[in-house]
Amino acid sequence: MLTKEEVMHVADLARIEITEEELQKYQKDLKILLDEVDKIKDIDDFDDEKMFSPTDNTFDLERKNISVTNENVLLNVPKKMGNFVEAPVMINE
Amino acid sequence: MEYRKTIGIEVHCELKTKEKIFSPSLSNYGSIANTNANIIDMAYPGVLPQFNSEVLSFAIKACHVLNLNITKKMHFDRKNYFYADNPKNFQITQNETPIGTNGYVEIDINGKKKKIEILEMHIEEDTCKSVHSDKYSLLDYNRAGVPLIEIVTKPCMESALEAVKYLEKLRELLLYAGVSDCKIEEGSMRCDTNVSISKTNELGTKIEVKNIGSISNVGEAINYEAKRQEEILEKGEKLREETRRFDDKTRTTILMRVKETGNDYRYFPEPDIPYVNLTDDFIHDAINELSRMPDERRKDYEKSGILPINIEKIIANKEISDYLENFLDINLVIASNLLLGDIQSYLNKNNLKIEDTKLTHQKFRDLVNKLDKKEINNKIFKDILIDIMETSKDIDDIICDKGLNVSFDDNLLNSIIDNVLSNNEKIISDYKNGNTRSAKALMGLIMKEGKGKIDPSAANEKLMEKLNSL
Repeated sequence: MLTKEEVMHVADLARIEITEEELQKYQKDLKILLDEVDKIKDIDDFDDEKMFSPTDNTFDLERKNISVTNENVLLNVPKKMGNFVEAPVMINE
Repeated sequence: MEYRKTIGIEVHCELKTKEKIFSPSLSNYGSIANTNANIIDMAYPGVLPQFNSEVLSFAIKACHVLNLNITKKMHFDRKNYFYADNPKNFQITQNETPIGTNGYVEIDINGKKKKIEILEMHIEEDTCKSVHSDKYSLLDYNRAGVPLIEIVTKPCMESALEAVKYLEKLRELLLYAGVSDCKIEEGSMRCDTNVSISKTNELGTKIEVKNIGSISNVGEAINYEAKRQEEILEKGEKLREETRRFDDKTRTTILMRVKETGNDYRYFPEPDIPYVNLTDDFIHDAINELSRMPDERRKDYEKSGILPINIEKIIANKEISDYLENFLDINLVIASNLLLGDIQSYLNKNNLKIEDTKLTHQKFRDLVNKLDKKEINNKIFKDILIDIMETSKDIDDIICDKGLNVSFDDNLLNSIIDNVLSNNEKIISDYKNGNTRSAKALMGLIMKEGKGKIDPSAANEKLMEKLNSL
C-alpha cells in the first residue's frame, strides 16, 4: 500500500482533488499498478535495443509538410503577446 | 604553490540544415516569432517526430573535422524535464549513443601544438527561445527543433588562452565544414565552461559558467572565476558545485543556482524514432562533400608567399578563401591582394557579394595574370576596377576602350626617358652629387610623360641604368 502522503502528492501532480474515500481506494489501486510495472524486472537478458525498433533507417520516409499558418499555430495558445506565446514567469533558466 | 586551473568546455552549435530535425518547419534565424513553428514543434497531442536525415550528414561532417569516431548504430533518447521552453516536457537527444566519440582539435600555444581532447559529440534538438521579464516569459517556437550538435571536451585545458584558442579553432573548423554559421551573437554557437582550481593532483570543485556571449568573454570569465575561487579557498572557506553566468556589464560571474543533487532526467530510448544504422556509403558521401579545411589552405597560401597577416585575413573571411580555391594555379599573392584590397572595398562600399558583380572567374584569372606579367600596372587596375565589376566586357576590351594600354615598347620608353634626362640637367647633377632623391624626381617626370602607359618598374630599371652610365 502507498502512504496517504504519496497518494496526495500524485493527486497534486495530476491537479485533481480527491476525497478521503477515494484516497483509500487509490492507496490500494496504485499499488496494484506499480506491482504490474515491477514485473518488468523479471524479464531475463533485458536491454533497451530489444525494446523497440523492429526496423531501422526509416528516416528517409517522405516528410509530410504539416506547417500550419501562423494564426492557427497561435490559435490554441491561452495567452499571447504580439506573435509570442506568453507564459508564467520562469526563473529556472 | 600556485593553484592550477582545469577547464572543460561544452559547445552547442546549431546546424544550418534547411529544415528542423524532427519537423519540416524551416530552420531560419530571424523570422517573425512563431512563423516557423508547426504542430510537431508545439507538441500537439498525438504528433510524431519526422526525422530529417540531412542532420546526419551535417553531423558526420562535424565528426570528421573534429577527428571523432563515428558511431554507426545509434539511437535517440528522451531527456525528461518540465520547463516552458519545451512543450513536450522532454528533449530528444543522444545520451547513450552519441554520434561522435574520442576526437580532438589541435591548437597552437606560443608555437607549441596541443591536442584538446573531445570526449563526445551528440545530436539534439534546440528548445524554444524565451525572453523573460518580471511578470511573464515570452516564447518563440521558431527555434524549437532546430538541430544542434553538442561538443564536450575532457577537462584538459589549463588556461584561458587554451580555451580561447580551442573555441576559435572549433569555430573555424565547423564554419569551413559548412555545418554551422557559428554566430555567438545570434545564438547559433553557445559556450558553457567548467572551471575548477586545485593545488594537488585531484580536481577541485567544478563550477559551471553558462551563456557566455563571445569567445573573448570565455577567456575573461575563466580568469575571473579562477580568481574568485582562489579568494574563497584562501579565506579557508569551501566551494560548492554551482552554475553561474557571465555578466557582460560587470564583467563578473553571477550565481544562477547551486547544484545540490544531480538532476534526474529519467533518460530512456526514444521509442518514436527507429535506430539509425549509418552505412559506409552514407558516411563517405557526407565526408566527400567537405571542402578543404583551413590548415590545408594555410599551407598553400604560405607556399605561394602570402604574408602571414594576410593569410589569417583570408582564413577569417571564408567567402574570400572559398573564392581563391578556384585559382590555386595563378599568382595567389596578387589574387589575394586584390580580393582583400580594392575588390573587398568595392564590395563593402556597394554592399555586394562577388557573385552579385560581373567579375567572372575568367575575368579574375585574366586580371591577375595581366598584373602578374606586368601587362597592366596597379594604376590601370584601379582605373578599370569599376568597369570590371559592372560591365560584361573582358579586360582587354576595357583597357582598349579606355586607351590605357601599357606599352612595353622599348623604343617608346627610351625616348621618354631620354627626353626627360635631356631637359633636367640640374636634377641629374644633384643626383651625381649624391642626392639620391633626385632619381625619384626624375621618375615622377617620366611617369607623368608616360601618362600611365608605361610600366613603372621597367622605367625605373631603365632610368637607373641610364643615370649610372652618364
